[in-house]
This record gives sequence, C-alpha cells and structure tokens, in this order.
Amino acid sequence: MNYQGLEDLELLAKIGEQDRQALAALYDRYGRRVFALAVRMLNDPLGSEEVTQDVFMSVWRRGASYTSKKGKFTTWLFSITHNRTIDELRKRRRDRSRENADIDDHLNIQSGDISPADAAVARSEYAKIRAAMERLPVEQKSVVELSYFKGLTQTEIATKTGQPLGTVKTRMRLALKKLRTALSAEMGAQS
Amino acid sequence: MTETKDSMESNDNLDPRFENLAGYVLGALDHADERSAVENLIENDPEVQAEFEELSEAANLLATSVPPVEPPASLKTRIMEMAGQGTRSRLVEIVNMYQKQGGRSGPPWWRRAFQSGLAVSAAAAVLVVVVGSALSYQNNQLGNEIDTLRANLATESVVVANLQTELSTTLSDSENRVATMKSEIKVMEDDFGAITEMVVHQEEMVSQLGIVNNALRQALSDQNWLTYVSTKEGYQVESWLASNTQQVTSTEPTASGLIAVRIVGNEAVFQVHGLPQPQSGYAYTLWLMGNGDPQPIAQFAVSEIGSATIAFLLPQPLQFYSSVVVTQERVDGIGVDPTGTMVLFAQTN
Repeated sequence: MNYQGLEDLELLAKIGEQDRQALAALYDRYGRRVFALAVRMLNDPLGSEEVTQDVFMSVWRRGASYTSKKGKFTTWLFSITHNRTIDELRKRRRDRSRENADIDDHLNIQSGDISPADAAVARSEYAKIRAAMERLPVEQKSVVELSYFKGLTQTEIATKTGQPLGTVKTRMRLALKKLRTALSAEMGAQS
Repeated sequence: MTETKDSMESNDNLDPRFENLAGYVLGALDHADERSAVENLIENDPEVQAEFEELSEAANLLATSVPPVEPPASLKTRIMEMAGQGTRSRLVEIVNMYQKQGGRSGPPWWRRAFQSGLAVSAAAAVLVVVVGSALSYQNNQLGNEIDTLRANLATESVVVANLQTELSTTLSDSENRVATMKSEIKVMEDDFGAITEMVVHQEEMVSQLGIVNNALRQALSDQNWLTYVSTKEGYQVESWLASNTQQVTSTEPTASGLIAVRIVGNEAVFQVHGLPQPQSGYAYTLWLMGNGDPQPIAQFAVSEIGSATIAFLLPQPLQFYSSVVVTQERVDGIGVDPTGTMVLFAQTN
C-alpha cells in the first residue's frame, strides 16, 4: 500500500488500527515541521527531539479519537506541539539552570535567526507568512512573539512590556486576526 | 496611523466572551480556571466557537511560519520503536481476546447441543451455519488484525534493519577512527624517534665541537708559547710542515707542523697539530732528510686533539738537510729509512 498517497485522515484511521506504517508516513509528512517549531521555541535541538517524540506518541495514542470536527489536522497537530513545547519552556523557566538563552535574544523573527537555508525558501509560504508578520505593528508582533514562541503568559507579557493586561489581550487578538486576514486570501488558509 | 492603531487596541469595547480567546489559542493564559472557562464558552457559544476557529487558524499559520528543520534520523527510529512496544501490548491483548472467545464458541456449544438431546439433523445444520458464520466473522476480524500486525512487523523489521545499518556504520566509523588514530600515533612515534635521533646527533656535534674548540685553544696556546719562546729565547721558525704537499699522498689534509730553531746553538722545537691517532702498533716519527742517510729524530705520540711538541738537538745545522718529514713507523723498531706512510713534509730553506 502506498501510504504516502493517503490523506491525513486516512492515515489517522490506520493509526487507530495500530498501523505503524501510517505513523511513519505521518512523521515523514510533518516531522520536520513539528521539530522546527520546537527548535524555534526551545532553541535546543535535544529538547526538541523529546518534544517531537512526545507529539508523535500522542498522535499514535490519540490519533483514533481525532475527528475533523476538531478542526484541521495540522491545527490539531501544531496545537499539541505548541502546548507540549510551552510546558517544556515553562518547566525550564522554573528551573533556570536549564534555560538556554535570554528571551530578548530572539525577539525578532525576521532579523537574527534566518539561516542560509532559509534563504532557499525565500519565495515559499514561509516567506509569505513572515512578510505578514512583519507587516504587523511592532507591539502586536511583539506580544505574539512573546506568547507563541517564548511561552510567556498574558500577565508576564504585561509585566515585561509595561503594557496594561487588557491591551496585551487586545493586541494578541488583533495580531491573530490581521495575520489570518492577510494570509487567507493569498494562501487559501491551507497549510 | 499610530493613533488609529492605538484606538483599535483599546480594550474597552472588547466583548468579555472573547477577552481570553486569543490568549487561549496562543497558550498564554495564566491559570487553569481561565482555560476551563474559555473551553466552556467554545463548547456552548457558536460565536465564540467561530472566533476560536478563526484565531486557531492564524496560530496554525504561526507554526508554519517556521521553516522545516530536518530532525536526526535516529528520532524516527526511536518513535517507531516506542510505537512498536505499544503494538506488542496490543498483540497480547488480541491473543487473550481470541483465547477467551475460543473458550466461549468452542466445545461447550456443540457439547451442550448434544447433551440437551436436540441432536436433530435440521437443528444441527442450523447450528453449524450459525457457528460457522460466527467463526467466519471472527476469523475475518482476526485476519485483519493479523494483517495489520504483519504490516507492523514488516515496519519493525525495516526499523531493525535501519538500526543494524546505523550500528554497522557507527562501528565501521569507529574502527576507521581507531585505525587513523593508530596511524597518527605511529607517525608521531616515528617523528619522536627522528627528533630523538636528531637530539643525539646534535649532542654528538656539540661534543665534537667541544673537542675542536679545545684543540683550537691548545693550538692558540702553543702558538703563544712559540711566540714567547721566539721572542724571549731567541728561536725562529725555520720550516712549516704541511700535509697538503705533493710529497704527502695519504694523510690528514688539515694537519700541519713547524720546526723552530734557536738562533744561536743547535736546539730546536718541533710542533704538530691536527694529526689523527696513528694506527695500532705505529707511532709518528720525525725525520731529517737529505744529508746522507735519513736521520730519525724522535718517535712521538699525539694528544687527543692531535698535537705534540718535542724539543731536540739538531745533529747538524738545519740548512744541511733538504727536508723534514713525519711518517708512521712501527713502535717496535725504526728502520734506517722511513717506510711508513708520510703524513707531513717540509722543505728546509
């Protein structure tokens, strides 16, 4: 059977039957993205391997319970990845000895951390999403960065940036809505 | 633009239902009860649910804004192994289930039928069809499970093969590294040997230079002595003896000598430098030649640095002789003529 040709939902159904080839196919399809998100947030390849492993084991155990009513599969998958990585980030923040870098080091997604390999995808969907991120007002981009990629809570962001908590909440919401509006037309909200 | 943005960002008009929705989607809520409240709203309020889906989609875009990064190949192997452990547990589950179902659908069914006295052929036929169908259904189910397990086994075999390949590669790499290190160590040992040899050679050279230095010092001292003697005692150098004359064919090219004679009287001093040690059983012999028979003056030994100084009385004034030579002669008796190898020669004035 050609697993590579199967849709995500078909692979999940097979995972429900404990079909490991389906899990392997799903890993081949999304493993690099899950790992990349963890690396982006943790800045630690070894810890990111653990996160990726947990995420796919979670898919292996809970894949059968997923239905399209829960939204797109990638949304679900990245949500698991994001939550797991945030748990790890906050655990590390509590245990300062394991923290890798100062939060401010990677505030700007566009500037310091683009590797040469990224240049190869300059015209890809990543570039489009990044461009949309760049078009956000800097305060909105900052709250998204601090919350989504750095795992700070709303209150922590308010304390760190000196903004009222209500403003932080509104900026988060506006940023997400603007991002979606900017990209849905261009990408058909695929990904 | 800034004013518009600031006014848009005011929190005053935000519907409280949506207040924590973005924070929930971004994973930025502070407390579990806030999360529960949002989840409750999503569950029960269609408007909140629609907004949640919209914001989730945007969060999904954030995740995909990160360019993919290739994880290590070993990660996939590890995940598949862990999943395999889960599958083995499932296999045990299926086998248990099969045994339990076999217990219910086997002998007791037909045994009970025969024991009940209903062994009528028509009833038996119905029973066979029912049991057959049940077993067939069960077999199909188990067949599917077994197919899945076979597929998993095949996947596992691939994982094991990959692991073996990885191990083999690692082992091979390690062996190559060890071989390279051994080779490097050998080169280092050779280098060390060569350096040691050079050091020894240099030490020998230093030792030889020390000897030469001593010889030069000795020669300088001798020259000084001769100068002193010449000045104070009335001697004058009469003949320089050299090894690089046509008469001398086989000797030390750097050896030299001289004879100084007292201006008044027949006393003379003979001095040589740079002569090697003579062959075993031989000694150097000074001859005066050319006035009748060769006249052996003295046999002498040389110091470690090849020097010797001899004072003697001239049988006749030096000008009566045509030449002065030094040869190697046997120590057990000098013949009437020099027969040994000539090492120094000088014509008298």
